[in-house]
Amino acid sequence: MASAELGKAKAQQRKHWDRKWIPYVLLAPALITIFVIILSPLATTIFYSFSNIDLIRDRTTFVGIDNYIELFSSRLFWKAVEVNLKFAAIVVTVPTLIGLFFALLLVENFMGRSIGRTLLILPWALPWIVVGLLWNWVVNAQFGALNGLLYTLGLIDKYIPFMANEDWALVFTALASAWRQTSFSAILLLAALQTIPEDLYDAAKVDGAGVRARFRFITFAWLRPTLTIVLLYNVVLGFLQFDAVWIMTQGGPGDATMLISVLLYRYTFINFDLGMGAAVSNVLGLITMGVGLIFVRLIYRSHTTYA
Amino acid sequence: MSRSYRESQHAIVRKLVTYFAFFCLLFWVGFPVYYMLITSFMDSHELGAKPPNWIPSQPTIKNYREVVVGETAIRGAHSSHGEFSRMMPALLNSAFVSVAVVFSNLIIGGSAAYAFSRFDFRLSRIVYLGVLMTRVLPALSLIVPLFIILRKLALINTLWALILTYTIFILPLTIWILREYFDTLARDIEEMALIDGATRWQAFRMVVAPLAVPGLIAVGVMSFMEAWSEFFFALTLTNSLTYPPLLMSYRNLAQVNWNGLAAATTIGVLPPVTVAFVFQRYLVRGLSEGAVKG
Repeated sequence: MASAELGKAKAQQRKHWDRKWIPYVLLAPALITIFVIILSPLATTIFYSFSNIDLIRDRTTFVGIDNYIELFSSRLFWKAVEVNLKFAAIVVTVPTLIGLFFALLLVENFMGRSIGRTLLILPWALPWIVVGLLWNWVVNAQFGALNGLLYTLGLIDKYIPFMANEDWALVFTALASAWRQTSFSAILLLAALQTIPEDLYDAAKVDGAGVRARFRFITFAWLRPTLTIVLLYNVVLGFLQFDAVWIMTQGGPGDATMLISVLLYRYTFINFDLGMGAAVSNVLGLITMGVGLIFVRLIYRSHTTYA
Repeated sequence: MSRSYRESQHAIVRKLVTYFAFFCLLFWVGFPVYYMLITSFMDSHELGAKPPNWIPSQPTIKNYREVVVGETAIRGAHSSHGEFSRMMPALLNSAFVSVAVVFSNLIIGGSAAYAFSRFDFRLSRIVYLGVLMTRVLPALSLIVPLFIILRKLALINTLWALILTYTIFILPLTIWILREYFDTLARDIEEMALIDGATRWQAFRMVVAPLAVPGLIAVGVMSFMEAWSEFFFALTLTNSLTYPPLLMSYRNLAQVNWNGLAAATTIGVLPPVTVAFVFQRYLVRGLSEGAVKG
């Protein structure tokens, strides 16, 4: 008996001893690499944004908030903000609405449902760069699929050079992004829809609730947390998209599709103005961090409610 | 009787609406993809046809052959480097990078997630939130300092630069999903194993890991797809060593071989698409665990 007691105490002791250093060892590789590859460049970018970097003479001078003043008073920046807001509006609404529509469809029982569910994943499985290419084929003025379709249907008799028009260029770059993001949104919403207990609907039917009432008080209420997350994901994409737009238009025609991320690329890699590039990055980072903070707060709220 | 008539009418309307919606889904997803596929099986002179041939009149695998053999065999011995000669090496590089990222990510991210899930240590909550927040940083904005760091480490224009960068940028998502996953696994069995004298490692290997397999698969598949698809770092940190930036470079040629490009695109998306279809269930579950339940 004494030895059993002793063994237990020993085990307890070891558990205690375990807990002290093990988590730090387990975390070390992740934290060290995140520090080197993400946090230290982040600190450098913040420092750059307050500096003027002369690459030719290899000289860095501290200029305070001059870069930010220059940025906020430049026409180009506000143009990028305007373009980006329009772009984000499409990238937020289209995937959310069409995604909800597809999710509601794919939770129904019908022949072809499993084909539909599999196909739904396809756009999400494609790299952004391929999404941009696909939509290049859709909107091309010489052999584009959309022109071909409209022509075949007899709706136009001359191919339209969509991407030469500023408004169409913005709409189609945003639609390309929305296309892939719709699948992502629908996948999340469908997963949430599948967890609704069937007896909720039965009970509501017994209580005499109509189709509309059932949708509003059961389906929509159940989906609300997921919808919030989907919206936030779409907002973040609306501000961080680069690849698909870059391959489609490189920001053009003119500055019609110059998102903030494209402006960032121009400052950094075309003008080699690292200070201004860093200032743009920080503004963009603050926008997405703001969205991210809301995100994390929501997650923690849901934790305390469900856990 | 009138009631059953109304009900059957209702059912018919519902069916019609459902199939109309299904058609919309097929068109929305299928139209752009279908057009790329038919372009890849067309001869170049068929491309500009007006109206387009929605079914290629003379389907050919010529474009695929050009991409796979790098056009050398077609043009004969004189031109040693065809237009697409870099494609197959790039696909192999992409495969190597993606598989390496899956493993490094699972090992580093898995152990960190386990630490967050099972241990209470100082600052654990703050550190966890900090890790999650790095996910929303615009990767674009870190490129210049990152380039300088990787140049100091002599990794520029190597696959290791990509493996390292991808692993770390995917880590927050991995840690997040796996932590949630570990949290749902009962602790009692593990505690029992510990009391019975098992070490932490034994308890993890024999109790936790087998139960966490679905979560590990989901995360592995997601990191494979992210690594396969990444464009911007591959463009700036290497000289188009992997598939996405190479594809972009073909798009920017003065004379674009659109049919060849369509074939190259199709070949290059086969791995992520196959993986997504095969692991569909795990993916959907992983995505919703990570995104919804958070």
